[in-house]
Amino acid sequence: MNLILIPIILPIVSALALLLISERTRYLKELLAICASVVSLLAAANIFLLPAQTVSYAWLGSAISFTLSTDTLSAFLLLAAGLFSAAISIYSFSMPNKGPAKWFFFNLLMTQAFASGAALADNMVAMLFFWEGLLVFLYTFIALSQTTYAAKRTAMKAFLINGATDICLLVGITITGYIAGTMSMSEISHNKLTLDYGWSVFAYVLLLIGAVSKAGAFPFHTWIPDAATDSSASFMAFVPAAIDKLLGIYFLARASIYLFVLNGTMQLVLMTLGAVTILVAVMMALVQKDYKRLLSYHAVSQTGYMILGIGTLNPIGIAGGLFHMINHATYKSCLFMTSGSVERQAGTTDLSKLGGLFRAMPVTGLCFIIAAAAISGIAPLNGFFSKELVYKGTLDTGYTIFFLAAELGSFLTLASFLKLGHSVFFGVRPENLKETKEAPFSMLLPMLGLAAICVVFGFGAQLPINWFISPSLEALNIRHGILTGFHPDKLYFLSVIVILAAVINHLLGLAAGGGKADKASDHIHYAPVLKEAYAMAERRVFDIYEVGMDRVVPAFSYALFKVDRFFDWVIDTAPSGAAGFLGNTSRRFHTGSYPLYMALTLAGAIIYILLLASNGGLK
Amino acid sequence: MIYHTLLFALAAVFALWAVMARKLLVSAIMLALVSVCVSLIFFDFGAPWAGVFELSVCAGLITVLFVGAVSLIRAEDEKRPENRARFYALPFAAAIFAIAAWFYLPAFVEELAAGAKIGSGGGSIGRALWGMRRPDLLGQVLMLAAGVFVIKSVFPRRTQSK
Amino acid sequence: MDKGLLAYLLIPLLSAVIIPFAARTRPKMADILANVTLLAGLANLLWLALRPSMIAGGFADIPGDGLSLLLVAAVYLVGLCVTFFSAYFIEEGLPNRPAYYSLLLVSVAAMTGVVTTTDFFTLYVFIEVLAVTSFALITTDDSSAGIEGALKYFFLTFPASVLIIVGIAILMMTLGSLSYENLRLFMASDAPAGPVTFASALIMLGFIVKSGVVPFHTWTPDAYQGAYAPVSAHLAGIVTKISGVYAIIKLATLLRFFDGRAQALSEMLMFLGMLSIAVGALAALKQTNFKRMLAFSSISQIGYIVLAAGLGTPLAIMGAVFHLINHATFKTVLFLNSASLEKSTGTTDMDKLGGMEHSMPWTSWTSIVALLSTAGVPPLSGFWSKLLIILALWESGLRVYAVLALLFSIVTLAYFMMMQKKVFFGKKTPASERVQEVSAPLLAPVVLMSAIIVALGLLFPYFYAYVKVVAERIIL
Repeated sequence: MNLILIPIILPIVSALALLLISERTRYLKELLAICASVVSLLAAANIFLLPAQTVSYAWLGSAISFTLSTDTLSAFLLLAAGLFSAAISIYSFSMPNKGPAKWFFFNLLMTQAFASGAALADNMVAMLFFWEGLLVFLYTFIALSQTTYAAKRTAMKAFLINGATDICLLVGITITGYIAGTMSMSEISHNKLTLDYGWSVFAYVLLLIGAVSKAGAFPFHTWIPDAATDSSASFMAFVPAAIDKLLGIYFLARASIYLFVLNGTMQLVLMTLGAVTILVAVMMALVQKDYKRLLSYHAVSQTGYMILGIGTLNPIGIAGGLFHMINHATYKSCLFMTSGSVERQAGTTDLSKLGGLFRAMPVTGLCFIIAAAAISGIAPLNGFFSKELVYKGTLDTGYTIFFLAAELGSFLTLASFLKLGHSVFFGVRPENLKETKEAPFSMLLPMLGLAAICVVFGFGAQLPINWFISPSLEALNIRHGILTGFHPDKLYFLSVIVILAAVINHLLGLAAGGGKADKASDHIHYAPVLKEAYAMAERRVFDIYEVGMDRVVPAFSYALFKVDRFFDWVIDTAPSGAAGFLGNTSRRFHTGSYPLYMALTLAGAIIYILLLASNGGLK
Repeated sequence: MIYHTLLFALAAVFALWAVMARKLLVSAIMLALVSVCVSLIFFDFGAPWAGVFELSVCAGLITVLFVGAVSLIRAEDEKRPENRARFYALPFAAAIFAIAAWFYLPAFVEELAAGAKIGSGGGSIGRALWGMRRPDLLGQVLMLAAGVFVIKSVFPRRTQSK
Repeated sequence: MDKGLLAYLLIPLLSAVIIPFAARTRPKMADILANVTLLAGLANLLWLALRPSMIAGGFADIPGDGLSLLLVAAVYLVGLCVTFFSAYFIEEGLPNRPAYYSLLLVSVAAMTGVVTTTDFFTLYVFIEVLAVTSFALITTDDSSAGIEGALKYFFLTFPASVLIIVGIAILMMTLGSLSYENLRLFMASDAPAGPVTFASALIMLGFIVKSGVVPFHTWTPDAYQGAYAPVSAHLAGIVTKISGVYAIIKLATLLRFFDGRAQALSEMLMFLGMLSIAVGALAALKQTNFKRMLAFSSISQIGYIVLAAGLGTPLAIMGAVFHLINHATFKTVLFLNSASLEKSTGTTDMDKLGGMEHSMPWTSWTSIVALLSTAGVPPLSGFWSKLLIILALWESGLRVYAVLALLFSIVTLAYFMMMQKKVFFGKKTPASERVQEVSAPLLAPVVLMSAIIVALGLLFPYFYAYVKVVAERIIL
């Protein structure tokens, strides 16, 4: 068997085998899943080290060539997906709140397999196949993670939002393929499409919607915070934090750089989308009172940086976007894992009920601090370097406003993590948490591994850039200068200023909140104008899905129902009603009355004769 | 001429009898006899077509229909016999009409005869029936048979049900 | 008069006369004589029309115009079915048994006369004979419903006789002759058609009343429902078709509807046909009595024939003739089945019946064959005739009529399905408990007729060749 197929086929086979194993066996399912994901990871590493190769099969006769190609970008994606899959499957070994183990690992492996397929596919139809497959497992993943009604509802929400945007992607790919005359992305890249005419703009916008929706950008992000409360931390660490970001940003980069040549307008659109996503999501994250929900808003917010980076269209920005993608997956996965540990050990993720856990859970706390520092862009962790690249790319485009927005986002990110860390790991420990112990080793190991990656990618930032990012840019046919190196320039000092501002803000908030860390953001939450805006957000006024479900969908479905009733009436009730009415009328008419019958006969005869006579009968 | 007069007289008598008969069945048969007389008069005046039709339709057909209908309602009919006393005045009325006609009608008839065309298809009853309307004759036979069977079919039930 | 077929008139008449004498001591002799007479006649006819050389020659050697032969065969077929059925249906010791068979035979003879004559007055005479015999036959079982039906039949069709005789008189005055041939020659010439057409229209109106076309249909339901059970099959299956519809088709060809003479009459006829289809079908939907529903269905089906006759193109005439034959087959089956039901359960009220398919499977299945043929479901014979009619309408540009005819064919299926569901499917009702299938001799006629329905459908090409010959001869 070809090596390329292992990361796709092995997880699928293992997932199906999992279903055959009895639910009563202990550890067997977990071990099988861990083995499968680790072997896939090794295969992916092997593929990454080998030169690029292509596997092609005729599909549907010879209508579509099912092509998988391992150029460096795809291989990088494959490696990352394998890494997170392995990390999460180890982490989930003793994670209790993940739903039935059989189904959890089935969904995990299936998601990994389809994500690997989507990353490797060169043909857009093949990619779409894997992409839509992910949609199915997204639904089952959420729906089977808890037995509550809310889980089903959130699963449906995620499914519908992604389903709608996937349809956009489907249409976009169809149009793109039609315009380009081929479905192969590598062939299109030799002769890139331009946005000179309407159809190609339309196609690109549809591809854009599909990609950013997968990445979880505004305004398609609303299912992620709901999933944070209605599903497990493992799911959050795997899908919204890692796999969705990887694939979404990957395809955004492919579409924006590899397939199309963008113009200034579209660049502005992308950057605006990125900036808005950063700010909206981080503002929401700041005021959350739940560990996982707060993290989930950050997962959205950070997407903004990646989109902003890709949107700059210059090599530095794109490199920043891709680097931020892998960095974000690393630290956000790690953060969700810490939330899962805290939930397992302390029994809650409500910030007001947590506190002072650092002494009880030192390793978890350490991992949290590293990852939180990384996400906040504190030097010299990995988040700092990727954000620097994005900032630099943004400044190079000349649009300072986006740079300022990104810095503001950075400030708020740090502020919210100060609040989060303070309220969970420091401060006073509540009475009922006195007996809390450290999480088991199987949960700490992947956490530590990811935290270590954050540190390594920070101190040795040239390592990932030379190994991963630079080859990826080459795969996208982008020439670039030197990307590495620590520069104590204006940007660095600005980041120090942001850190100080955030700390001051936190202290102010603590003072205003009466020393309670979980109320440290209340002075922003209840500020004059923002108060109303937050209240509206709490009522989900800005959630297009909820608004649609509450207002548009009922009205629309009611209208459709009426239309259906109408057709039903036309083809069913009306004819049978009319036939019944006429039948009854004629039945009542046939009374058997002789005079009536005779009168009818004679009247009929007279009319007949008169008509004939007047129509030339007696000329 | 005597032949004509006899036929006229017979027709009138049968007609009177038809009106005055106590039983409907007798009425129907008398009516048929009127038709037969009238058709004979037609033949004699050289109108074989009219004669044939009169014989077919009135003597044959209508009679059978009447007989059939009468046979159905006879049971009710005989339970409540109708008072027919007032019809006894009819013969006198007919007699007065005949005398009046003796005086006034001949002139009118002669006037009519002057305007009449010579009948085209003269000839005997036999020729008219056999030569020209042979299929009708078959129909008449069938009609008679039908009439007989109707009576055979309907009457036994009536007598039985009494 | 077609002399070749004269024997088919005379022999039943002779048998009818002999029966009362032969059956004086042994009533069963009446059954035997009647059946033998009709069977012999039918065998003879089949030999005449269906011998191998005739089929091989494409029916080119058919005597006469072909239509007479076909219809005489239909008359004999239905007559045989009815007499055979009656032989096992009539209660023992009915005093009028010989008279009943004599009347049936006279009725057959009269119908033969109707279809073989070539003169309007003779036609009139035979039709009146037919009316008289039917009138007596309806009352055979002496029920009050029968007498009511007979009286309605008698009085409500009486205007028809008047109209026909007046029409004949005017025709005699204007045309000087009453033979079909003279009328045909006159219509083919360029002479102004006014009074002749008017006379024909009056005659046609008489026959319209006799065939029970809406709005002159009012006697049909009561007569069919009230009639003695086998007689209603005879009446609906063949008598009203021969005494009314046949003459309409004949007049339609004589008046040359297809080349636009008598346009107004043609349109009027088509309208009445369509009206019949609609009213009959809609009224049938809501009936609760099996026989009454069949009567309304009969009105609806006659509508199809009248519609096609009114159109008058060769294709339409073929459809009309074919539908006439089909109607004779399927309506006979349905009415005989209703008679079987009445004999087994004592009622024909559909609300009181149910689940009969288990106890009376043959009756149920033959009903299904007949009703599917009525509704025009391929490959049964009814499908082909309706197809011909609808095709003819479509080709002549009468799209609305074609579509309506198709639609009401669906309604036909609907009410028959309802009937089948109520009577034969579903749960057993108290009235249908402990009911047994009727004896094999009672089933033989319906099975034979069902076989003919299927055979006519499957062997349609042969039949089509025959009807084509007929259409060519009577139109050209």
